Amino acid sequence: MNRIEAIRCISNTLTDEPVIVSLGHPAYDLFAAGDRPLNFYTWGSMGLTSSIALGLARARPDRRVMALDGDGSLLMNLGSLATIGVYAPPNLCIVVMDNGEYGTTGGQKTATGGAADLEGAARALGIARAGTVRDEAGLEAMLRESRSLPGPWLVVAKVEESAPTMKPPLDCVFIKQRFMAALGNSEAGIEGTELPQ
Amino acid sequence: MSAAAKNNQPATGISPVPPWAHGICAGLHASGCREVIYVPDNPLSHILRVLARDYPDMRATLATREEEALGIAAGLYLGGARPALMMQSSGLGNTLNALGSLLVAYQIPALFIISMRGDPGEWNWAQVPMGRAVVPVLNAFGIQHAAIERSETAEETIRTAAALAFGTRQPVACLLPRRLTTSGGRS
Repeated sequence: MNRIEAIRCISNTLTDEPVIVSLGHPAYDLFAAGDRPLNFYTWGSMGLTSSIALGLARARPDRRVMALDGDGSLLMNLGSLATIGVYAPPNLCIVVMDNGEYGTTGGQKTATGGAADLEGAARALGIARAGTVRDEAGLEAMLRESRSLPGPWLVVAKVEESAPTMKPPLDCVFIKQRFMAALGNSEAGIEGTELPQ
Repeated sequence: MSAAAKNNQPATGISPVPPWAHGICAGLHASGCREVIYVPDNPLSHILRVLARDYPDMRATLATREEEALGIAAGLYLGGARPALMMQSSGLGNTLNALGSLLVAYQIPALFIISMRGDPGEWNWAQVPMGRAVVPVLNAFGIQHAAIERSETAEETIRTAAALAFGTRQPVACLLPRRLTTSGGRS
């Protein structure tokens, strides 16, 4: 399974879940697999995908929230798994595209390309529902399970690098306003307001 | 109130809450902030105590690192909340890329409450360089800031900073100088 196959597989299961996606190739592939207002494409803040998703999951317990992260990114902010383990939002599912390399910056090896194990890290930090999948059937099965059993979930998808073909919109404020409007949290004033008479 | 925030309360020998801490909590509440994301510091512990005791509708979230706290705050904002962030000035140094590429770039507002190290009253050499850098760093990002110099102005400073942050969608910072936090702010 390569990354675009895994992300297409995830994208096909999405209904009304907001998705926070890590910058670079995961964001490019999610856009290519199917753009939707409920995709929040990050263009910076490497490492914070799961933290943004945690905040959203805490603000909106009525919605299932997904984070689509990369191994290099999550390794920058492993403390986030400890925080998620403590607050344990049942509506949060993190899927890590683990290719063992920094795919966006030229394929340098990450720690998961060596000895590091993100599923083990998640369990040790208090996320009991953690698993590793290596093919599309396994990924589909675990995503199905993550819908029926409360989270937080961490799914490590072992993937090979694949060449991205598209880039998401670059305008950060557009991405945010479209996302918030789709969640029913439109920012005040973006559509104009009537003056009191 | 979360278990994490409750654990922040000292078990014994509780010092009286300084008046500026009450003012800050009142200002946050009046501004519609119900979510506080923090990495602890001594002066901030007073604020956390007041929140836990007097503001049951406010929720504190403990982060392992200040940069992570910015991510959580951004997610809370996307979900409709008005987040406040509390950290020591040293922790501001841990947030810089997230500050620029998430909050500023996406126009995601948050109210920062930053307890100062390295300003007048400091004794620890290691804290001085980052302390000196706080205001230049905020200015470099174009982030507006105000210091709470006296307890009497705490609530108003928080309210006006929050109005600016959430009204115009930008991070705004309130600084707590050591001369406020180490004297109890009794003027």
